[in-house]
Amino acid sequence: MVKVVKSPKDGLIRSAAGHLRAITEVAKVVVSPGTITVHYPRERRKYPENFRGMIMFDMDECISCFRCAHICPANAIQMYPDAEGRYFPGIDYAKCIFCHFCVDSCPTAALKQSKIHDVAYRDVDSMNVSPEQMNTIPEIVREDSVTVEYDFEKDIQLVRKKEFENLLVEVEKPERPEFKAVPQYGENCIGCRLCMFSCPVNAIKSKLEETKVILETDYERCTGCGICVRICPTEVLILTPIEREGDHQ
Amino acid sequence: MAEASLIFILLERILSIFTDELINIPLINPAVEMLLKIPFLNVIVAFILWKPIFHVLILPGLIGMTLVLLFIIYFERKITARVQWRVGPKEVSRRTGGVIQALADGMRYLFQEVIVHRDANAFYFLQFPLISFLPVLLPLLFIPAGGTYGIRTIYTIPAALALISLIPVFIVAMGWASNSKFAYIGSVREAFMYFAYEIPFLLAVVAMIVLYQTSDPFEIVAKQWIPGAVMNPVAFLVFFITVLIATSRLPFDIPEADQEVAFGPYVEYSGIIFGLVMMLPYEKLYLLSMISVILFFGGWNGPEIAILGDLAPVIYLYIKTIVFMCVVSLARSIYARYRLDQSLRLGWGVVFSMSMIALIISVGWMAWLRL
Repeated sequence: MVKVVKSPKDGLIRSAAGHLRAITEVAKVVVSPGTITVHYPRERRKYPENFRGMIMFDMDECISCFRCAHICPANAIQMYPDAEGRYFPGIDYAKCIFCHFCVDSCPTAALKQSKIHDVAYRDVDSMNVSPEQMNTIPEIVREDSVTVEYDFEKDIQLVRKKEFENLLVEVEKPERPEFKAVPQYGENCIGCRLCMFSCPVNAIKSKLEETKVILETDYERCTGCGICVRICPTEVLILTPIEREGDHQ
Repeated sequence: MAEASLIFILLERILSIFTDELINIPLINPAVEMLLKIPFLNVIVAFILWKPIFHVLILPGLIGMTLVLLFIIYFERKITARVQWRVGPKEVSRRTGGVIQALADGMRYLFQEVIVHRDANAFYFLQFPLISFLPVLLPLLFIPAGGTYGIRTIYTIPAALALISLIPVFIVAMGWASNSKFAYIGSVREAFMYFAYEIPFLLAVVAMIVLYQTSDPFEIVAKQWIPGAVMNPVAFLVFFITVLIATSRLPFDIPEADQEVAFGPYVEYSGIIFGLVMMLPYEKLYLLSMISVILFFGGWNGPEIAILGDLAPVIYLYIKTIVFMCVVSLARSIYARYRLDQSLRLGWGVVFSMSMIALIISVGWMAWLRL
């Protein structure tokens, strides 16, 4: 259906009323403007706990499960080996899209979110952050003493509070399952025994039965470091969480 | 020996010319009397405090105008920002809210290179911004400020307006000397706008002169026991709109439209020369505001302050002028921009007929008061 809208008649009274309305409106705003600018370096907007800022990393918690690297849609996470051959994630912030899939996927909360959103790097190369660099909290220069929040209740307005916000978020540690390297797909084994040689605690043993190599893990010794899982060319070994009694009730 | 005494006699003569018309400010009188006893220095002090020089150089004149320009640019940016829910200039001198922003910009212009591009007519290109101060400062000689005045004639208002009307000529000339596309468009627009506002503007002033039956500001101000804006509001409205057009304030910023022709006639200027030409509309606004205050808001009328003596009326005029300028600069946040054809139609249509009505109202007042 077409609705015909007539243009309002242009009269002297109408235009005079329009002028008056415009002038009173401006006068009203001049007296009390609704400015909602956050004076950023001197005051900071209060962000929610789940704000997707810079990603913090705790190396001690990491179990080298590679989930972050696999899930990263921007291919920004690369796993770097350390001296012991364990792999830890390093994020290339030039690629990172701050989707925080890695943080969500991390089973031990080794990767966690923070409210740091203003990071500067010297050049593009230094944006590729190594695990060691990720492990340290970056130096933060802060000039703010006021935290600002938007109030959307009535008309949008700013609420300023004199408080100093901690940019690091404390995340509740999930109960960390203990992982062991289990030779789950023994039929795939090609007998290269790389796992055996790579194990730092000598937890993997191999037996030769006829033409087949049977792998066995000493679960007492295994630390679940995942080196053998990573090194196995045919994915025989799988890191498997140990199900204790009473876990699934 | 004889030569030395001749010089002293000459100096005495010059001093007596100055001291005849010294501005009388009781607040600084003891200091002035002390300084006048010192030979040689007394001539300089008397020269500065001589009414015409004080008028043109110090209070309503050059120094006062510079202060107003620095303030009004800051004020305009700040008030526009306030209306638009922004913050405006703040970072230069945070404690005062950025008052010296315009001064800082001026300093920056001083250290910037003045580029004269190849196609420009270099001689006129650099000359016009400088000599455009003539039509800005000469009207100040005619516009009196109560206590001080430059030249006192009964043709003050026509003479001042004639000199102010020269400013668009200089702007058009600047655009011509720039020899660039945008500058050309800008100067053609400036010429168009000149035709749009000048006739209603002059008619509004003529209406007020008819109302007061004189063009001597001293008499005009003395006659305003009711402000002229109340006596003839139509003339005031016409004057206000034409001031907006004449000074390229925002609803009518057609010649120097930033978003279309990038500052129009001034597009090729850089450095301190750009600073000078950018000030031109503001200076024009200052002059027109002074005339408007004299014609419509009782000029330097106000309660007498004994301690300031001759300075009090000057300060009244100055403050009223600043308030008027502030109101004019607020107009940019109220109205949307006009197109060239729209403002030409406005100038020749509504405003022109309003100015005729204003003239009729003035004649009516005159006839009624004569009865």
